[in-house]
Amino acid sequence: MKHSPLDRFKKGVKSWETVLLGLLFAEFVIFGIANPKFLMPRVLLGSVNDIISICIISLFVTFVMITGGIDIQAGSIVGLSSIVIGVTWQDFGLNIWVAAILAMAVAALCGALSGFFVAYCGVQPMVVTLGGSFLYSGIALLVSNISATASYKGISGFPDNFTQIAKFKLFGVIPSQLLIFAALTVIAYLLLHKSKFGRKVFLVGVNARAAEYSGINSRFITLLTYVLSGVSASIAGIVLTAYLGTAKSDIGVTFTLPIITAVVLGGTLSTGGKGSVIGTALAALVIGVLRFGLPLSFKVSNQYLDIPVGLLLLVVVVGRSIAANPTLLRKLGIGKAKGQKNKA
Amino acid sequence: MEQSRNSAPGALLSVRGITKAFSLNAVLKGIDLDVGSGDVVALIGGNGAGKSTLMKIIMGIYQPDGGELFVAGEKATLGSPTAALARGIYMVPQEPLLFPNMTVEENIVVGFSEKPAVLHRRLVELMEENGWELDLGRKASSLSIAEQQLVELLRGLLRNAQVLILDEPTSALTFDEVESLFKCVENLKSKGIGIIYITHRLAEVFEIATHVAIMRDGIITLSGPVGNFDRDMLVRGLLPPNMETQADKSINEEVSIDYTGLPPVFELQNYSGYGFSNVDLKVYPGEILGVAGVVGAGRTELATTIFGRDKVLGGKALLDGADITGLPTKKVLAAGINYVPEDRHLNGLFKISDVAANTTSGLLDQKELGKFFLNVKKEAEITQKYVDDFRIKITGQDQSTGSLSGGNQQKIVIGRALSTSPKLVILDEPTRGIDAAARGDVYNIIQQLRNHGVAVMLISSDMEEIVELSDRAVTVFQGRINGEFAKKDINQDNLMAAAFGVTGGKQVQQ
Amino acid sequence: MNTLKKITKIREINSLFFLIALFAIVGMVNPAFLSPTTLFNCFNDSVVFTLLATGIAFVILTGEIDVSIGATLGLSAAISSSLLRDGSSWFIAVAAGLLSGVVVGLINGFGVSTLGIPSLIFTLGTNGVVRGMIYVYTGGAWVENLPANFTKLSQIKLFGNLTIFYLVVLLAVIAAHIALTHTRRGRYFIAVGDNAAGATLVGIPAKRTKIIAYVLCGVLASVAGIIYSSRIGFITPTAGNGYEMKAIAACVLGGISLSGGLGSLLGASIGAVIMSSVSRILVFLGFSSDYDNTITGILLITIVVIDALTQNRAATKSRHERLAARTGPAHAKKGGAAK
Repeated sequence: MKHSPLDRFKKGVKSWETVLLGLLFAEFVIFGIANPKFLMPRVLLGSVNDIISICIISLFVTFVMITGGIDIQAGSIVGLSSIVIGVTWQDFGLNIWVAAILAMAVAALCGALSGFFVAYCGVQPMVVTLGGSFLYSGIALLVSNISATASYKGISGFPDNFTQIAKFKLFGVIPSQLLIFAALTVIAYLLLHKSKFGRKVFLVGVNARAAEYSGINSRFITLLTYVLSGVSASIAGIVLTAYLGTAKSDIGVTFTLPIITAVVLGGTLSTGGKGSVIGTALAALVIGVLRFGLPLSFKVSNQYLDIPVGLLLLVVVVGRSIAANPTLLRKLGIGKAKGQKNKA
Repeated sequence: MEQSRNSAPGALLSVRGITKAFSLNAVLKGIDLDVGSGDVVALIGGNGAGKSTLMKIIMGIYQPDGGELFVAGEKATLGSPTAALARGIYMVPQEPLLFPNMTVEENIVVGFSEKPAVLHRRLVELMEENGWELDLGRKASSLSIAEQQLVELLRGLLRNAQVLILDEPTSALTFDEVESLFKCVENLKSKGIGIIYITHRLAEVFEIATHVAIMRDGIITLSGPVGNFDRDMLVRGLLPPNMETQADKSINEEVSIDYTGLPPVFELQNYSGYGFSNVDLKVYPGEILGVAGVVGAGRTELATTIFGRDKVLGGKALLDGADITGLPTKKVLAAGINYVPEDRHLNGLFKISDVAANTTSGLLDQKELGKFFLNVKKEAEITQKYVDDFRIKITGQDQSTGSLSGGNQQKIVIGRALSTSPKLVILDEPTRGIDAAARGDVYNIIQQLRNHGVAVMLISSDMEEIVELSDRAVTVFQGRINGEFAKKDINQDNLMAAAFGVTGGKQVQQ
Repeated sequence: MNTLKKITKIREINSLFFLIALFAIVGMVNPAFLSPTTLFNCFNDSVVFTLLATGIAFVILTGEIDVSIGATLGLSAAISSSLLRDGSSWFIAVAAGLLSGVVVGLINGFGVSTLGIPSLIFTLGTNGVVRGMIYVYTGGAWVENLPANFTKLSQIKLFGNLTIFYLVVLLAVIAAHIALTHTRRGRYFIAVGDNAAGATLVGIPAKRTKIIAYVLCGVLASVAGIIYSSRIGFITPTAGNGYEMKAIAACVLGGISLSGGLGSLLGASIGAVIMSSVSRILVFLGFSSDYDNTITGILLITIVVIDALTQNRAATKSRHERLAARTGPAHAKKGGAAK
């Protein structure tokens, strides 16, 4: 029997992870040659700290996007979690670990609220999470106002055993953040690709009605993906707070677009039903390394970094589109010759 | 059949030698077709025969790889729908493609350049001529399917279409609506408009068509005036050569079920919901209960409500004595009922997922597939069992179901329904849109089920199917059961009459 | 009563009612809000968002999205301002700014419509690239020292309180709205968003319409950038950051459905006024500006949830009615024979 384009595409996605791995490898080679300092373990592993938050959240936003949804409130939840920890620890005297758990619970609630509106009220995910991004960043600001400390300053002075979770280095080289990311990658992988829950997530994303007819509670599964995403944002918030040593309400506000970029770059279809944790993890690393390597090895200043990331996304997405539909090229060739007017 | 490369004289539309291939897949292998003024050409063909591709070429949505089109005797290149519309060709799609948020009138006149007042007048005149009543100010999203089709028809007529393509126009209509449609078609015929009428229903062909053409596998196997053919000839034209036209009769033993003292496994008492009311029904283990009726009678709504997809308005549903009224789908499944949806594309298949995922999707809450982690080995075993038992043709368990033929897709959905070992299986139009060979396989499966003591509710609009398979039958008319038939009384006349509301169906004493 | 029902079915009237009600309530709490200066300023200050929301409304109505308009605003602002600062004529500066919007719009239209790439993803990519281009163009520096007669333009008022900018924009929006709803080509946008396949079948050039929508969006965003320059007086490389989200929120508040095919430009402009008035309203209600985001979020979510619930309820109701109609006359007890 012939392999349909669908089958070829499926195989394509699987090997997409190989492509990403190749990209990562190429980055190492290029940046390493341009500036050998790039390859020094201390430098390389040290860079990780700036990007891990985005990587962590991307893992779980993958779940949301597989169900055909999107989550643009995760960035705001990061700040909310951070400030909740700060305020409850400093101004309410809560034990720091209890404060962290509380932050995770709050995040779960935020995710559940949006997930409820998406799954049970039928509201579009983009709008709900857009509203959520305003709401939760607003609440974060209000929470920080409760504190005695001025919000722009941020709350600091956390106990060492807390900040250690982000500063600890295994064997003196491997940063704890990387370990946390690795652990979460494993958890996300098992959850999405090996568990029955993960299978349900995929099925809901491919055809929610057929999932219902198979006895799967599509709506609840969808809600849960938003909860997962929210909790992952709070974990990122906890780790970031520990790393910076300061709790602020506005950290994470710029994370949204990089997160979505990482998930899409990782092979997840925005229409749902297809995605991969490994792909997302690799893509997040590719983006992170790109943003680190370019300034270090090519003296590209930070402000210009959006261009290569944006270009990478465009190239990948356009390339995938053409690969899946080769007649497009022919059409383009004809279209260009005759001028654009006849393209109905 | 003419082999000349010229248009047939006087034909409104002629196509000659049309070929079309997608990637390596040749869909049309040389089609010749003529539509004359006042003709109704019934175009019949199974799924994958290439009908919709041919229609899209005529509508200018696709361009043919080879061959020619002639409109009113002149050679024509239809590069876009606008070109086809300009030439007076219009297609009423099977699923009306209206703009849900616009009103009826806006839907009809969108794209015209004349003044709205002028168009309004023409539209009103057109409707009066045909005796149609429709509130032009209603939002399209509130229309019934029949009303939507009417709007699509009006679009074509307002454009002074000379050639109308009707794609399975009756598939979603009630009996009255079908009659209305036929009247409309006669009217159009008398005006000299040429119609291509795509249908699966052989009965309609003899009722309304002037010519018939059968498509199979990208070619036309039979064509000519409808008077030259009878049903058997048409059926033979549909099947691949060297294929037995009779399904394997040996399986259908004339064994009657002994109902004495047998308690029903499933019972509905005065059961009401959206689309049906006051239904009393019993299904016994090891029997096939045929549920006949026309499209829109309420059978699917009955099934989906039993299955927990819609609200129960009254009455009770009992499975083996346990009350399962109003339970959510998950619990109904767990209790022992499963359902093969009417529309497998919409509600049954996970097209981009693979065969294994599709087959086992109903088992994800059972322990068989593992507690937390998915037992991939078990999944493969279960899937293989169905692949083997049902003779499902796949390249591997990892093949995505979207690329399978209709028959194989349907077998997978049936397999999934059976994987939960239900006591009652409800099959809703299980052989719709699948080829004859797969149909035979499905009949086998259904009879095996029955032989194993499972109760089967077979909902079908295909009277022959009901007659062939059922041990008992009920007919549903306008949401109510209006006839119950024992095996000896099950025949097409009785069923057809009752399905169309003509009472006289004898009550069966249990 | 029927006319009232009919009127409330028009979504932009609902948004207008909401705006009026909102202003009225705030006025009741703090009558100082109802002073002509304040009220007019609510409109005057919404001019940039009105342009952005109207532009993105074209795209959303066709069923797509564009998250690059903030960056387009920034690019156009940077280009036109720096040209003005360096002594170019207004004509050249404005033309250059508009051109940048057209180019971005064409690229977006090409990617989404011709290549068929999901619009969120593609415009996400162009957003990144355009954002970076702003840095490349300005070298990371601010653009300042704009000619005074340019910046003064934003202050010119007519009828005492309405800036000429807002007046012109409002008239343009009204004209565009009429074109969209009453001309044949204008109706194409909504048709494409309502049912793209259906649109093709009746001969509407769906792909071309989407490209035009993106170009219009880009142009309006670039105009917004020029007006923004005049109002603010200097351009930072992060100008326009996050504006796309606010513009989308404005559209939603104005009754535009993100799935396309429903809503209007007037609605978008009303939503823009609501969005940009939130912080001013909060001040008059005695809340610090810290509450801005929270209130905006609550507003957005509430409106969108109510809208979804009412639409779902209406759809379910009509489906149930249709099904009930099929069952014929009701019988109270079983045993009644069918007709």
